[in-house]
Amino acid sequence: MDAQQIGKGKFVVPIGPQHPALKEPGHFEFTVDGEIVTGASVRLGYVHRGIEKGAENRNYTQAMYLMERVCGICSHVHATAFALGTEKLAGITAPPRAQAIRSLVGELERIHSHLLWLGVAAHEGGFDTLFMYSWRDREVVMDLLEGLTGNRVNYSVNVIGGVKVDVDDAQRDAILKGVDFLEERTHHYIKIITTDETLLGRTVGVGVMTKEQAIELGAIGPTGRASGLERDVRVDAPYAGYKDFPVRLVTDEAGDLQARFVVRMKELLESYRLIREILDHLPTGDLTVRAPRRIPAGETVSRVEAPRGELFYYIKSNGTDMPERVKIRTPSLCNWASVINLAPGYKLADMPMILSGIDPCFSCNDRLIKVNDRSVSQVWTWEDLRQHGIEYYR
Amino acid sequence: MNNLTLPALVSLLFFPGGLFLLAGGLVYEYIDRKLVARFQNRIGPRWFQPLADVIKLLAKEEIVPNGVHKGLFIALPVIGLASTLTAALYVPMVGFAPAFSFRGDLIVVLYLLSVMTLCLGLAGANTADRFSLVGATRTLTQLFSYEAPFLLALLGPAIVARTWQIGEINLYAQNNLWFVVMQPIGFLVALVGLMGKLELPPFDAPEAETEIVAGPLTEYSGRGLALFRIGKNVELVIGLTLVAAFYLGGIANPLDFLWKTLVLLLVTAALQSLFARLRIDQTVGLWWRAGALLALLQLVAIIVGQMIRPLIFGG
Repeated sequence: MDAQQIGKGKFVVPIGPQHPALKEPGHFEFTVDGEIVTGASVRLGYVHRGIEKGAENRNYTQAMYLMERVCGICSHVHATAFALGTEKLAGITAPPRAQAIRSLVGELERIHSHLLWLGVAAHEGGFDTLFMYSWRDREVVMDLLEGLTGNRVNYSVNVIGGVKVDVDDAQRDAILKGVDFLEERTHHYIKIITTDETLLGRTVGVGVMTKEQAIELGAIGPTGRASGLERDVRVDAPYAGYKDFPVRLVTDEAGDLQARFVVRMKELLESYRLIREILDHLPTGDLTVRAPRRIPAGETVSRVEAPRGELFYYIKSNGTDMPERVKIRTPSLCNWASVINLAPGYKLADMPMILSGIDPCFSCNDRLIKVNDRSVSQVWTWEDLRQHGIEYYR
Repeated sequence: MNNLTLPALVSLLFFPGGLFLLAGGLVYEYIDRKLVARFQNRIGPRWFQPLADVIKLLAKEEIVPNGVHKGLFIALPVIGLASTLTAALYVPMVGFAPAFSFRGDLIVVLYLLSVMTLCLGLAGANTADRFSLVGATRTLTQLFSYEAPFLLALLGPAIVARTWQIGEINLYAQNNLWFVVMQPIGFLVALVGLMGKLELPPFDAPEAETEIVAGPLTEYSGRGLALFRIGKNVELVIGLTLVAAFYLGGIANPLDFLWKTLVLLLVTAALQSLFARLRIDQTVGLWWRAGALLALLQLVAIIVGQMIRPLIFGG
């Protein structure tokens, strides 16, 4: 929907670009009638960083570091998607141990992302105690990641052709111990989100999306799975270690906000199970295979399951050591349609929760947009843009 | 046991009105914030943080936005704070006898406390900001929902004590069985009503930051914001004193005041950290479906009890 059209003569509540409900800049306009929302629109493009363009001027090894910085929360899946795509182009396969470690770190990252989301969603609903508790427990998995890779975020685990961290026995024990603790806490959180009266009052029957709507609106990831959509790249097209360690799909039929809570929390339990299984049956062998510096010409698509849903990479190589084109489509972009279409009919107070229900990640999905002004049309060259940037910040 | 009295001017400017309440409000705000923080597994603010906040705000420029009635914009925080400070004069602060007292001052105090909320609502409606307008609507909606049950809950002890004078009820409460035992439902309604009055979580829909930024106070900065915040703190102290005086066996001396209000504060802090925020329609529903009915039930029970009592005890 068009922001300017719905805004005329109506009471519009703007959320963003700067607003306490948003941790990153995005702009939403909700037309309200009293407390009831009658229309919604979204405008993105405040934090476009030009990473895709940046990748074209770097070789594959350098681009890997850049890709890892697309998202601060799910950095590992980006690097995995890029590494898997590049390996496919180069015609190499990482050794089994490396693939398993990729999945291991991927699941640890999913735990940290889902716990982070639980806190944010609780905060949007005014439940700050749950926010503080879940983030306190999240520190456990952050410490595990730091112990394993040396970093709390941007773990830099992948290289083209394998991984650069190994799991020794001490780390293995630490991870198992941490996972045990987190599993206990997760059961506690599941109890809270399914029994706490005030939270149920805010989540049950709010933002309901049927399976048909989910398909029509292209919802993916936990958002779609909460509407009964059986879609998970880890299951549908297993990559990395997921071929050897199959994932059990978690879905829910309710399709409301509570289902999104439940699905994410149950996915945590599935992650714990997977991590234990991977650690118990970690293949032995090398961590890397030798990758060529110049990647043969060709194009490929690489899909992985990020914590928020399917992450899609398109990589085109021209035979040099730099990619010709890298195209990233992050899961948040697919879920915006569900927010905008589900919002009307619910209360203004539900909006932050419906918004955060898809676990939006703004800067990763941001892209260059055309400013919505029909009267003026202009084409700027690269030099014009550069000049404009210099003038603007002078 | 009789309460002590103070000269009129002292009680107006220093104690229990004026300076003492301003300082007391900050101390209670600190304790409240610290308790909630500890319940949430956070460290919480340092002891001087509320004071530092106020000093910082007072030192800042007060921005009067376009499109507001300037006089109202500046006057509303002052009126709000003045009315809460006035209300303190009729309440047995810190165990001293109320500075002023007349028959029916309970009603006056309740309305003086409501003036604060009214000022908040008007302040929000005065500005052209959309968050403020939504916040003002919610503030006033909430005012209409908790006010009646809260009033009914404070009426219970008044009916039993056969007086509408706060000082008298306080004396009655000191010499009889605690009202919290006699009227548990009324106590609950009064305490939760106080939280609604102060817009504490989970009744903080009027200033829900994730939806409408700071609600009615979004456009306020500097002095106005500081005064509103102090007003809220003072209201907290007065509200706790009232509930303690009515339901927790009255307030006979400073020590009594301290431990009873602090226990109440502990309970409200726990309640604040236990729940998710209620939507405004849920708040209204809760108060009219549960709160008002419970309070009425309590009232009927009291009246019936009053009628039966002479029959049993031959009074």
